[in-house]
Amino acid sequence: MDKLLKDKKAIAVFVLPAFILFTLILFIPICQSIYYSFCDYDALTKPTFVGLKNYKNLLIDDTMKIAVKNSLFFLIYSCVTQLIMGLILAGLLTNIEKGRNFFKNVIYLPCVLSSAALGLLWMFIFSPKLGINQILAKYGIEGPLWLMDIKNYIPLPMWVIAFVALWQYVGQSMMLYMAQISGINKSLYEASYIDGCSKVKSFRYITLPLIKPMVATAMSLNAIGSLKFFDLIFNMTEGGPNKKTMVLATHLYEQGFKYFKYGYASAIGTILLILCLLMTFLINNVFKTENYEM
Amino acid sequence: MKKKVLSILLTVAMTASLLAGCGSSGAAGGAAPAADSGAADAAAPAADDSAAPAASGDVQEITWMFWDDLNATEDLISKGYKETIDRFNKDYEGQYHCTPITTNLEEYYTKLNALVASGETPDVFIVSPGPNLTTYVEPGVAADLTPYLDADWKGTFSSDAVFAQQTYDGKIYAVPLNIAAACVFYNKEMFKEAGVEVPKTWDELIDACKKIKAAGHTPITISAGTAWCLSMLAGYLCDREGVDLKKIESGEESWNNTKTINAANKLIELSEYFQPTAAGDTNDVATAGLYNGEAAILIQGSWAIGQINGENPDFEQKCGVFQFPEIPGGNDPNRVIAKSDSLAMSATTKSPEAAIALMKYFTDDTAQKYTAEVGGKIPVTKVEYDASKAPAQLADVMDIFSNASSTFGFYNESLFSTEAGSTFDDNMVAIYLKEKTPEQAFDDLDKWYAANKK
Repeated sequence: MDKLLKDKKAIAVFVLPAFILFTLILFIPICQSIYYSFCDYDALTKPTFVGLKNYKNLLIDDTMKIAVKNSLFFLIYSCVTQLIMGLILAGLLTNIEKGRNFFKNVIYLPCVLSSAALGLLWMFIFSPKLGINQILAKYGIEGPLWLMDIKNYIPLPMWVIAFVALWQYVGQSMMLYMAQISGINKSLYEASYIDGCSKVKSFRYITLPLIKPMVATAMSLNAIGSLKFFDLIFNMTEGGPNKKTMVLATHLYEQGFKYFKYGYASAIGTILLILCLLMTFLINNVFKTENYEM
Repeated sequence: MKKKVLSILLTVAMTASLLAGCGSSGAAGGAAPAADSGAADAAAPAADDSAAPAASGDVQEITWMFWDDLNATEDLISKGYKETIDRFNKDYEGQYHCTPITTNLEEYYTKLNALVASGETPDVFIVSPGPNLTTYVEPGVAADLTPYLDADWKGTFSSDAVFAQQTYDGKIYAVPLNIAAACVFYNKEMFKEAGVEVPKTWDELIDACKKIKAAGHTPITISAGTAWCLSMLAGYLCDREGVDLKKIESGEESWNNTKTINAANKLIELSEYFQPTAAGDTNDVATAGLYNGEAAILIQGSWAIGQINGENPDFEQKCGVFQFPEIPGGNDPNRVIAKSDSLAMSATTKSPEAAIALMKYFTDDTAQKYTAEVGGKIPVTKVEYDASKAPAQLADVMDIFSNASSTFGFYNESLFSTEAGSTFDDNMVAIYLKEKTPEQAFDDLDKWYAANKK
């Protein structure tokens, strides 16, 4: 193995396919997209360079304001709830013997299902003519218009969709935390119990500090996932009513594929890229940790 | 440090998966790959649409692009198009062959544009007149059809007026296939029960709604979730109030004027009688509200006839049609909103003869008869059809259409760009949702025009 790693040619041969693929389908399109964000481009005619016009327009775009607000809401909501729910579930599941695998699978299941199908499913559940409101009506309660009520600053549909997203993705955070927890040496816990530590305290003083690096990873994944969140929203509300549930990705999609303003859509994409980089940078700095021997 | 670089690289990769994947237009990013996949996706269903033989020596192969899946569709008009294609392929066997490229409606223009951008424009493609067609006429994607029409074809059409929306500087760039008119559909039984006559004026309409509500029914079913449905009603109200859209488009008048404000106030007044879920209901849900007997009135284009009769055949006899009521003191009440499906030909097609032959099949007597008798749309040619075979509602629609003093397009398809149309739609929905006052909404439209109209 060491011999192989010293062979520069071998390294090059192994890295090359991934490198080419990465460059072709990721790096070049990103650069292209950044270039287009400075152009007027509708795919039917050649792009014309317009400087910062697209970015200036973004500043006065009302839908963009809604999209940024909703995306940030989504980011904060899912970072906080996924962290708490993921940790609780992971903590509970590592401590039970019976049914651990069963619950692990059940909780993780929505992660592997198609978001488009889940979006439709939940849309039916929250539709006023089917689903929850019909059940509520049986008890004489008039349910709210879950996906249509847009009176509040953060409209009800955003809360609903954020809840569905939590349900769908909490399994992923849970798995990450569980993997990290199961890597902690059992003797640490044994030592703490001998010293008279309770389960809750051992979770607080042993588990939490030791899984901190994973918290940073899970949170970055979460943050990026929620910033580029698209499918559930597109399938449940399409950004409506009246654009009140638009997020950055749906706004980008609409501008690009409905109005064919590829230049403008690329500018939104670039902003999204910058936001994602910024979030990763922030999270990695906040959770600066040294690695413990486990 | 190494870790940080790695994590940042990872982030770039993940974000880029959005850019390069579904959302991507950032992705324009991937203009080229997107185009490829578009072509591949679009071609895939086409392959099983017809047992297309590989183009052999002399057969001229052409493509036809359409916004519905010809095999899965329940829409009667789409089924008719499939018959036409099959007929064409059979009659011209060994000479021409047409392969349909089908997508769903939502993705139609995206895929069409991807094909155009990659130099594989379909030989014949369906397009809505208005700003959509303009997008293809201006860069020279659509061919000038005037010479072919002038030869011997144009005479078969019911009048030159059918080409009004397809004509640019005296040249015709697309051929209409059928016309649908926006009318008011109603449930005759509910009207009877509430003791209501067909309303002729605005006040009578409001009065009818009051009575229907008092009788315990929802008066109007409409979709604001699909914004153009609500915007169509707003368009009718504006036109009845006498709004001159041409003057607004040319900048002579502003959007914020007494007539538009009056129309918007009437929209708010009428919205008292909408079903409670109108804000989020889609077009299909709202239409179902009429044929399932949940509401008495639906304001919709006559293309809905196919859907209504297809989904609930029993409703055909209960369904009446009337013209959108007059606003006394306003504009001519005999103006009707009309919309047509049109076919355009690629300017770069290698087989214009085959393409024109195909387009002629869509406007021949067999196809046009089907349009009226089965599809329930208004034919564009002088064809004689059997009215007794046609859907019951078509006779009423034909009456309204033939009495029309003039027609006008959907407001959102009559503005200078698709986005301008959507902006109009969104502002109408905002008025309905009471997010904006009429004054604010039309002020916003004026501002948007100032910023975006070249």
